[in-house]
Amino acid sequence: MAKPQNPPAGQPDKISDLVKKWNWPEKMTVVGSPVKRLDGPDKVTGRAKYTFDINRPGMMYGKMIRSPHPHARIVSIDLTEAQKAPGVKAALNYKQAGAEVMYQGDPVAAIAADTEERVNDAARLVKVQYEVMPHVALVELAMAAAAPVVFKDGNVRPGMTQENGDLDAGFKDAAYTVEQTYSTHVITHVCMETHGSVCEWEGDKLTVWLSTQGVHGTAQQLAMALGIPQTNVRVICQYMGGGFGSKAQAGAEALMCAKLAKAAGAPVKMFMDRKEEHLDSGNRPSATASVKAGVSADGRLTAWDGQTWGTGGAGAGSNFPLPYIYDFPNRRRSHKDVFTNTGQQRPMRAPGHPQGSFLTEVLMDELADLVKVDPLEFRIKNCPPLAANAMWRSYLAEGGQLFGWEKRHPTVDQTPGPIKTGFGCAVNQWGGGGRASAARCEITPDGAVALKAGTQDIGTGTRTIVAMVTAETLGLPVSAITPMIGDTIYPACGNSGGSTTAASVMPPVRLAAGKALDALCARVGPALGVDPATLVATNGRIHVKDNPSKGMAWKDACRLLGTEMIATDAGWEIGMSSTGTSGCQFAEVTVDVETGIVKVKRVLVVQDCGIVMDKLTAESQVNGGVVGSLNFALYEDRILDRNTGQMVNPNMESYLLAGMSEMPKIEVHLKEQRERGVIGIGEPPTVSTAAAIACAVRNATGATIRSLPMTPQKVLEAMQQQKAGGLS
Amino acid sequence: MNPKDDQSKKPDVFNVSRRDFLKSASVGGLVTAVTAVAEVEAQAPGAQVIGPGEVPIQLNVNGKQINLRIEPRVTLLDALRMRADLTGNKRGCDRGACGACTMIVDGRTAYSCSTLAIEVQGKRIRTVDGLAEGNKLHPVQQAFCDADAMMCGFCTPGFVMATVGVLEKYPKATDAQLYKGLDGNICRCGTFPRILEAAMKVRGVSRG
Repeated sequence: MAKPQNPPAGQPDKISDLVKKWNWPEKMTVVGSPVKRLDGPDKVTGRAKYTFDINRPGMMYGKMIRSPHPHARIVSIDLTEAQKAPGVKAALNYKQAGAEVMYQGDPVAAIAADTEERVNDAARLVKVQYEVMPHVALVELAMAAAAPVVFKDGNVRPGMTQENGDLDAGFKDAAYTVEQTYSTHVITHVCMETHGSVCEWEGDKLTVWLSTQGVHGTAQQLAMALGIPQTNVRVICQYMGGGFGSKAQAGAEALMCAKLAKAAGAPVKMFMDRKEEHLDSGNRPSATASVKAGVSADGRLTAWDGQTWGTGGAGAGSNFPLPYIYDFPNRRRSHKDVFTNTGQQRPMRAPGHPQGSFLTEVLMDELADLVKVDPLEFRIKNCPPLAANAMWRSYLAEGGQLFGWEKRHPTVDQTPGPIKTGFGCAVNQWGGGGRASAARCEITPDGAVALKAGTQDIGTGTRTIVAMVTAETLGLPVSAITPMIGDTIYPACGNSGGSTTAASVMPPVRLAAGKALDALCARVGPALGVDPATLVATNGRIHVKDNPSKGMAWKDACRLLGTEMIATDAGWEIGMSSTGTSGCQFAEVTVDVETGIVKVKRVLVVQDCGIVMDKLTAESQVNGGVVGSLNFALYEDRILDRNTGQMVNPNMESYLLAGMSEMPKIEVHLKEQRERGVIGIGEPPTVSTAAAIACAVRNATGATIRSLPMTPQKVLEAMQQQKAGGLS
Repeated sequence: MNPKDDQSKKPDVFNVSRRDFLKSASVGGLVTAVTAVAEVEAQAPGAQVIGPGEVPIQLNVNGKQINLRIEPRVTLLDALRMRADLTGNKRGCDRGACGACTMIVDGRTAYSCSTLAIEVQGKRIRTVDGLAEGNKLHPVQQAFCDADAMMCGFCTPGFVMATVGVLEKYPKATDAQLYKGLDGNICRCGTFPRILEAAMKVRGVSRG
């Protein structure tokens, strides 16, 4: 049994009587079943209004003017011509003359006009004079001794060195060592709905329709940036087209949209175009590890010594967990952040973990081959011991069986012909868990039920599980509940990030609904002449627990309220959620050794996540994690020109993303740990697919690919190296 | 027009998927062919000059006539989204790569972000907004809901229209035809397996 999650600051640290009464029951009928997404019909018909779909009366269109240079000083910004252009209603500086722009796409000014075409025309009339300065676009250029020092305190920020155990002793115990460099690249979030908002002022009150992962969090940011009380800012996000971590902050684009709306005296919609989205809405930092690792003759990891670095862009960090999960008893690591003239990173689905996973798992297969141990067995042997949040030994064994790992051939497929097949596997871990959030349940005399929570549905199905938990608690069908989310008029909930939404919001939803039912039973008890404590709600009735015939229908019970309504609030409490998940993935690939093209045939996932809320949407999230990691492994790449610092593929045709034909068969095995409550599943499934694919490519060909993405060119190069030097 | 399906009866030059196009474009053959067609059209005698100011246009959208005044450079997608409040179809990439804008024009799927509104006057335009009959979902829409073939849902209208497009052309589409019909669309949440599941389930089901 895992230690219950430590409560967030200011939250109760003891299991309350309320939680004791309303904690997740052993058996649930709605929660955990495959319930179809409630807003599915709205999404498939186009009725769902995303922020991008909000059209307000008299609305203007905003456009950001951005630096074309990766590094320059602004000499002057001249908005006068733009201001005179047809339809233009507002033009504002974001930066002032004298300021530096630090990356291509760094915002400089913003304008608004009555149509999108006209604002784009006017944007070309903004005259910004730049004094171009030396830049460093690529990590290796930034680190080079001769590199211009672009950042005030240097291009490289050294971190601390962490050391555990006795490194010398560890390497003395090693029968074999591997010394190699592993790296992952920068990718961008590529949200289908780009970053943007619609801002509308009424006096000193601001309404913002924002494509966001956190309505309350961004309301706070905007209020602070605008210098107005947070109570004057309402943020609404009913539907949002993907964030993956990049939409937890309001950003310059939302702030300038609000300022343009104020200046224009009209609502303004400002959305990034696809190029801006690639340049200035965050990215996953790169990661590189130069490693020496040792393994004993009997297949135990003995030592790991590594220098690591990465870039999170212009002034942002790049850390990641390493070595990932496996038990290297003696280890030393030092990390440095390298600054480059590129857009700053933002959290991206399981920040740090996909990098750590790839940088570790490929090495694991190399070490396993040196001691001639099956890589699955090798992993099981070197995983941390079993614990509720560390189930790898068990999941690897089970997953191997389900996957048919016994059919794996030793490294290099000897089958004749150009198509080679290989298997690989990799593990993952994630935190998740709950944090401060609140919910309100309202029951009206007509029997209607609303559950209000200022959370947001970023595509994970939050709206649906809010209704499911409420329905479960009140003994009603899901269709009887109206979930009301995505608006700061509802009780404050945290951002949807870090796989925390379900674990943060479902406990207060359950507790608020439980309190509401208690309040209703207080009316029903006297009417039935029974102690309210003996009452339960099932199948649309409130009745005596041991005597189902003594009770009344839900609607009749609510009628007892007369003209009053029940409104109960609850906050997040300890005891209904946990932090810490573990899982593993298996991949089968084919590699065409003539073209270097890798195809992923199937992926098998074993993943735990506490109590599954909605089986259907939970599995969808796992599918999505796998697909995201497949893109990371094989296709997507933010490609920069080293000389100009320009992104050369800021679009969706040469920034490659998998389509239907690239899809593997995905098999999902969710491992419920019901006693741990809710945990969250958004991120862990996207951690280890890329590593499993890389290991499978190595198994198929013998070529070890130590950097992502595994393009056909890299596969062919690695195969040539392998032919020249044998297995490394 | 920018047909994206592979069942066109039009010249072979359009008969390519996005990936085929990229492959061919890299060796230059297709680019030349497209240029050749475009040049022939541009040099046609008596070509009428429209714009650059706003011009009246009439579009037949979801069975209704819509009258708009737009600049000739306005795309079909932007005309409907920003001037007719038909916001069902989305703009993802704005250059014919992601498919979120997929509409059906005279029976063929088209990237409406790369189609000028003025050039589809007189054609039958169908958007996701007009697919359901009242509250009764189109079988493809129902199949998407049943299979949870969506997450954030922003790409969903495009995928729904692409699925409708391929299944109207091939009611009993083979797996290969389904893959091909859906290859022009991108889902960043990674919903593909269930989109395929939905498309396969609804294959052969006539409109209810």
